[in-house]
Amino acid sequence: MGGQRVGSLTPVEMAQAAVMGALSAALAIVSVVVPFAGGVSLLVTVPMGLLGYRYRLRVLLAASFAAATIAFLIAGISGFMIVLNCAYVGGATGIIKRRGGGTPIMIAVSVVAGILNGLWIIAALTALARLRTLTFEAMTANVDGVISVMSQFEPFRQSARQTRAMFTTALQYWPVLMMGYAIFTMMIVSLVGWWALSRVLERLRGIPDVHKLDVLTEMGQVAPLPIRLSQARFRYPGADHDALRPLSLTIETGEHIAVVGANGSGKTTLMLLLCGREPSSGRIDRPGTVGLGQLGGTAVVMQHPESQVLGSRVADDVVWGLPPGTHTDVGRLLGEVGLAGMEERDTGGLSGGELQRLAVAAALARQPSVLIADEITTMVDQRGREALLSVLSGLADRRQMALVHITHYNNEAEIADRTVNLSDSVDNMVMVGSAAIPAPTPIPTPGVTSNSTGTPNSARPVLRLDGVGHVYGSGTPWAKTALRDVSFTVNEGDGVLIHGGNGSGKSTLAWIMAGLTKPTTGSCLVRGRRAHEHVGDVAIAFQAARLQLLRSRVDLEVASAAGFSPSDTGRVVSALATVGLDGSLARRRVDQLSGGQMRRVVIAGLLARWPQALILDEPLAGLDAASQRGLLRLLTDLRRNAGLTVVVISHDFAGLEELCPRILHLENGVVASAAQATGTAGGLP
Amino acid sequence: MSTARQRRPVVLLRPVPGTSVIHELWAGTKLIVVFVVSLVLAFYPGWIVIVLMAALVGVAARLAGIPRGALPSIPRWLWILLLIGCVLATLGGGEPVLHLWSADLEVGGLLKFLRFTALSIVLLALAAMVSWTTNVADVAPAIATLGRPLRPLRIPVDDWAVALALALRAFPMLLEEFRLLYAARRLRPRPVLPDGTAKRRRWLTEMVDLLAAGVTVALRRADEMGDAITARGGTGQIAAVPSRPRPADWVALSICAGVCALAIVLEIRGLG
Repeated sequence: MGGQRVGSLTPVEMAQAAVMGALSAALAIVSVVVPFAGGVSLLVTVPMGLLGYRYRLRVLLAASFAAATIAFLIAGISGFMIVLNCAYVGGATGIIKRRGGGTPIMIAVSVVAGILNGLWIIAALTALARLRTLTFEAMTANVDGVISVMSQFEPFRQSARQTRAMFTTALQYWPVLMMGYAIFTMMIVSLVGWWALSRVLERLRGIPDVHKLDVLTEMGQVAPLPIRLSQARFRYPGADHDALRPLSLTIETGEHIAVVGANGSGKTTLMLLLCGREPSSGRIDRPGTVGLGQLGGTAVVMQHPESQVLGSRVADDVVWGLPPGTHTDVGRLLGEVGLAGMEERDTGGLSGGELQRLAVAAALARQPSVLIADEITTMVDQRGREALLSVLSGLADRRQMALVHITHYNNEAEIADRTVNLSDSVDNMVMVGSAAIPAPTPIPTPGVTSNSTGTPNSARPVLRLDGVGHVYGSGTPWAKTALRDVSFTVNEGDGVLIHGGNGSGKSTLAWIMAGLTKPTTGSCLVRGRRAHEHVGDVAIAFQAARLQLLRSRVDLEVASAAGFSPSDTGRVVSALATVGLDGSLARRRVDQLSGGQMRRVVIAGLLARWPQALILDEPLAGLDAASQRGLLRLLTDLRRNAGLTVVVISHDFAGLEELCPRILHLENGVVASAAQATGTAGGLP
Repeated sequence: MSTARQRRPVVLLRPVPGTSVIHELWAGTKLIVVFVVSLVLAFYPGWIVIVLMAALVGVAARLAGIPRGALPSIPRWLWILLLIGCVLATLGGGEPVLHLWSADLEVGGLLKFLRFTALSIVLLALAAMVSWTTNVADVAPAIATLGRPLRPLRIPVDDWAVALALALRAFPMLLEEFRLLYAARRLRPRPVLPDGTAKRRRWLTEMVDLLAAGVTVALRRADEMGDAITARGGTGQIAAVPSRPRPADWVALSICAGVCALAIVLEIRGLG
């Protein structure tokens, strides 16, 4: 924590405060902006409660400030007040929960909070006398209107007079009214918040912590090189085997080292050791300290492009976290990674490859002695991968530093000076059930009785797009055309790959086909019916599988997605069998599944509803090679044998030829070319 | 959520493309102006003040080149509500009386209602102007600069500014994730349930499930963000260029102060 002030937030606390703050702000804004969604504001207490439960008060305060500011910027004063109220209630709930307090304490606290809040409102309205008068007068005018209408009719005249009198009295005693209102709302918000937080905390118990890097408390000169590992071995506490088997290795300045190995061979563990974690046995020697992220120390770039980048603007991200007063030549650094002239761009609009190159630039801004690139190309498309590799090659020599490039692609290792292979690990597990897929049950298609599954392309159209175009924010200054005049037909049993780069409009197209987005022009028909009027007819599996798993357990999830009762074990097991998963997984918690298993559970739930077609958005992203092969084989089998119509959205071709013989190439929102791969996709890159 | 006709959506945290005098102003200046104008309106919500402030916002919008399309479509039910409010307030009567040909119309109630509505609209427009002309990336550094005087009070302004900057960075990613969650839910069949109690219980469970899924995703994002911060060696700079007012900002602040002072004087004179 070099240079940090005492008591200042640690990186983990800071990240939690920021993300939970953003979540609270988003909920508060939804409750203000979306009509009739006011109840959502009660949920703002949950993220705040979570912070109160897990972290120091300081973290809660920082999060409240961030959330209140964002809510104010977007939803004005009402968003601001919702956030502050809920931060107070949620924070109190979380802290009481942490200290083991029960519901009675919560109620007592909420009454006190209500009184304080009431006093605050009364004080504010007393100070803002004119605003109060205006508000009351505007209300009185409307009430008077209603009363004068009522008085026109004899039977209501008496009650009209009474209502008027009551209203006037109420306004006279407004402080009492405000106090009652404040206490009442505080209690409601507290009780709902308490209940929701308890449930969510229960649910979160099994969620694995995916954070990896440790914050080091080290003193002395930053000098990580040369680093010597002698028989360094690492085993996680409680694990029954080594995550990294004994390794001896020396890394010197100017070296470009590639570290390869299958999943589970200890690549990431090696990265952690290089970043300063103590080995379980063996030695790691350095002349000075690791200096993670310090000038002249160790820099790391990790896998997820979006999470790497911390600034909202490119130039800000390069300098993010540098000690105040450091001068950085941002333009030169951006030029070095091939992003010259993009200083003012928003990081939100960058592609995965550009984000990773920006992360490299930010790492280089620290003039590191060692740069560790941990699988930085995994989530990036082909073009982005090539650009990243060309940035990395020759970097070690040019910069007089060591570059450790961890990768699971052997061809990426070729540009390195030498390669360390960690493979042949014992932890190289095989996916459950991917070895032997049970004979797939044919998927009955509603409305189609005789479906000869052996012959795909039976020319029965499932999806028909005709002149589909889509503009986001149409009519506003932010209007952006995503699709233009797209027409094609997907027949029963077809396998179609919709291929395109970042911003080609392929995701929009997928949403339109699934009926989730209504196109601005043209039509998308599913078996002759308009797609957006029959959401659910076409299934779609998103890239972020976790977001599609809405229930806590596998069986509940599959049942909910398919629409049958979770107690119907037989159907759950057979749905899981369709995607090659063992029935024993049914009781497993969703958060304990691997990435590949999550994707399969999503597909199981979708297929159990007998969709007309299955759309898969980047189905292979983030999976290791073995899971990718298993999933591809499963999908190919389903298409071949069960007659499933498959549409894959991807920026990659690799390995998809068999599943998707037909390829539509999308570029800037138009179909650039359509190809029918015969046997092998020979002519394509 | 799309309806038959094309409705202009609410666009969040994205400035109107292009640049202008207003776009170029320091973010801190805009925040100060919004704060001061809101205060003046809260203390003196009279016609004169409202009109002057509306004029200030209008001129700024003109200078910033905000097209009409930037306004989101106003849903029809809001218009209807406004209309009902107007009619009821008119029926409420009250001074002053308007002589229209032979009929006397008491418009006091209507005027009060209109004044209140105008006040709300000016306050909304004020906040919208900041959103339309300011890059999100400039907000947190400006707040760090503005909060500097609070540092001696041991308020961790710098931590707060960093948290705000990161929250603004995470915000669009979370919104995108909410969009996916909502879509995933739409794809599911609606469960058919026999009686009311089971339905309610199911609804509550579903709410908790959705919330848990959202929080899980947020936690994962926070873990990764924590790693990214650690990899940068902790917090420090958040902006490449120092955030401070320029000469144009002092001009803008003086204009704002002048208009506010004028409004208050006129309001007090007018009433007194």
